[in-house]
Amino acid sequence: MSVPAFLLYAFLYLYPALNNLRFSTTRWDGIVEPEFVGLRNFSNLMTNDDLFFKVMGNNIRFTLLVVIFQTGFSLLFAILLLKNSRGNVFLRTLYFFPTILSSVSVAMIWLFLYDPNWGAINIFFNKIGLEAFALNWLGSETSALYAIVFSQVWFHTGQMMVIYIAGLQQIPAELYEAAEVDGANRWQQFRSVTWPMALPTTAVVIAYTTIQSFRAFDLIYTMTLGGPNNSTNIFSTLIYLTAFNEFRFGYAAAQTIFMVLMILFLTWLQRRILRTKY
Amino acid sequence: MKHMNARAFKALIAMSFAISATVVPISQSFAAGERLGARCTTEGVMTGTSSTSLACVKGANGKLTWQRVKLSSGNGRPVAALTPPKGSIEFWHWRNEDRATLERIIANYEARYPGTKITMNIMPSGDYTATGFAKIRANPKAAVFATFRGAQFNQFAKGDMMTDLSNERFTRQNVISGGMIPGQYEGKQLGIPYHYLFNNPVYNTEIFAKEKWSLPTNFTQLLAWCQAAKKAGYTPLAWSGGFRPNAGQMLNSMLMNSAPDYATLEARIVALDTGKAEITAPWFKEMANKYKRMADANCFPDNATGVTDAAAVALFATGKAAVIPTGTFTMGAVKAVNPAMTGKMNLFSLITTDEKPQYVGIHNNTFILSVNKNSTATDQKIARSFISYLLTGPVAQVFSVGTSQHTTVLDVDYSGNVDLLNTSSWQAKKTLLAPRFLWLNQGVRDLQEDALIAIVGGKPVDATLEDFAKQVKQKLAG
Repeated sequence: MSVPAFLLYAFLYLYPALNNLRFSTTRWDGIVEPEFVGLRNFSNLMTNDDLFFKVMGNNIRFTLLVVIFQTGFSLLFAILLLKNSRGNVFLRTLYFFPTILSSVSVAMIWLFLYDPNWGAINIFFNKIGLEAFALNWLGSETSALYAIVFSQVWFHTGQMMVIYIAGLQQIPAELYEAAEVDGANRWQQFRSVTWPMALPTTAVVIAYTTIQSFRAFDLIYTMTLGGPNNSTNIFSTLIYLTAFNEFRFGYAAAQTIFMVLMILFLTWLQRRILRTKY
Repeated sequence: MKHMNARAFKALIAMSFAISATVVPISQSFAAGERLGARCTTEGVMTGTSSTSLACVKGANGKLTWQRVKLSSGNGRPVAALTPPKGSIEFWHWRNEDRATLERIIANYEARYPGTKITMNIMPSGDYTATGFAKIRANPKAAVFATFRGAQFNQFAKGDMMTDLSNERFTRQNVISGGMIPGQYEGKQLGIPYHYLFNNPVYNTEIFAKEKWSLPTNFTQLLAWCQAAKKAGYTPLAWSGGFRPNAGQMLNSMLMNSAPDYATLEARIVALDTGKAEITAPWFKEMANKYKRMADANCFPDNATGVTDAAAVALFATGKAAVIPTGTFTMGAVKAVNPAMTGKMNLFSLITTDEKPQYVGIHNNTFILSVNKNSTATDQKIARSFISYLLTGPVAQVFSVGTSQHTTVLDVDYSGNVDLLNTSSWQAKKTLLAPRFLWLNQGVRDLQEDALIAIVGGKPVDATLEDFAKQVKQKLAG
């Protein structure tokens, strides 16, 4: 049984991954035969590519913010909507709704909302007298990344909330009863019962959110194309543009290896931190 | 004698009638003074693209006169479509907006040649750029395909994917030879550019008439007009700084009169594209300063760097902006937002010099049709037949009217689409082949356009150009 599964895995994952490794040592425009350049792509990435480090910084900031806010909000909503009342089921459906939309539709909705001159967000701020908050959201290097973080969190929080609800509903009610008998208030119950018992779910949510935020290609590509001045460019958009816009497939393959290594490192780090807690 | 005089008089009347009956309809289609043999002032200007059109040509005596235009490279009249063998092929392109019109044309073609079938395969333009090459190379049935002018056409040509169409009669006799340049590679005609579009700004004729504005004819007038339009409550140029692909269209007009001649302009751009020169070069800096002066004169929308393409179109279509600096291809989107804009648009010359301009507009020839070299001989024959069919006047007319695009095909009557008709005279003006597509390295061009967007957004010119020059250098080294 395991041989066909391995062959399928090897064909779909292992072979492309090894091929990527091979291309990363070449200069290739996708047309003529790849030219072997050794480790030049890697050395260039490390020593003569400010954009790569800028993108790495963007990606770390983007991932950290998305992981913190998406995990926080999804846990909060899961706790608030844990009981299976009619109202809660309705609200869960409502919060989950963005997840079923296509990412391009979500990007278009937020493009309209963020429009600096006619978007609903700035109109709202201007109406209530908070003109200072009416920013050039996607047109400014300082705010564009945060605006996309907000859209990403809005897009996926409902999905993570459902995972949390499934996890929280597995916590035995007796634990809460015992805590109540011991005189624990709501916060103490959360700190001593809910949070430790939800850690395995949190590990899954964080790992999934991290990978998801590394792959937040669709929103960024549709909303800003990585601009302005590469301030919203992350690894997935950079690799796509290097390969399919500039036809530098060898260089893009080298960038991909760095991205994979980074995801592996972050996932390992998260698991290590969370493992000490549960 | 008296008898003879009466006969001569009758003959004179008959001759006058015959001459006027022949000449008047032709001359009526021209503006005053544009008659065969009459003097003209601007060399190279044409009155149209039909077989009766005239061109301003310098004679052996050095005088400029209107002469019968010769737009094709061959001597004969346009030829009919080639008869195809029976069989089926695929036609690959990215223009979903042309689907209905092309389906109609294909249906007519299939009805005319029973047993021959064309299946269209339309991909989204982003996917087509990214993966079209690999997919078409792996599919010999894709016997006809289209490419974008510039990097994509060169990619296919470099990959030896196209047959040579240089010696086809339809190439020599059915199309405007000046529009064929983007389909040439190493001296061979590897594709036939089908679109003849203008990457000029488009203006709202109703607003200009209402405000009694005249079109600016130099840079000083342009800046003054921007200030006047802003004061009157309009956004002068609905420029979408938040969407580089369309924001970059204005670069064509900014480059248009930036060099003493086309060869110099081409050499400058190639030098930037290949890293032999940097964007800190004086000529580029001068152009960047003009962007800044335009921004200072309120030519652009508020928060210009955040204005999306959809917002820019909406601004223009709803009459809040007087000009949209993209091109004729935007007219369809404008009319989709506000059908009342039909017939109220024309092309605007964005002149950025105070000297006599060399060019008044930009044209581009793209949607380059090619025959797949990897297809079988039979499929290639069908492909050539289908292209030759598209290159006949009546079929190109169906395409033009249905898609709101001018074509490179001769003898097309644009009167079926009021916006095409209004702008068709621009095919006769002295326009420059869009220089933006001289950049073959998309990554380098993107960075250079980003620098100009940042300058409009308020960044200082010198520091911004230096920052982006460094980024370009690193990109080219990678």
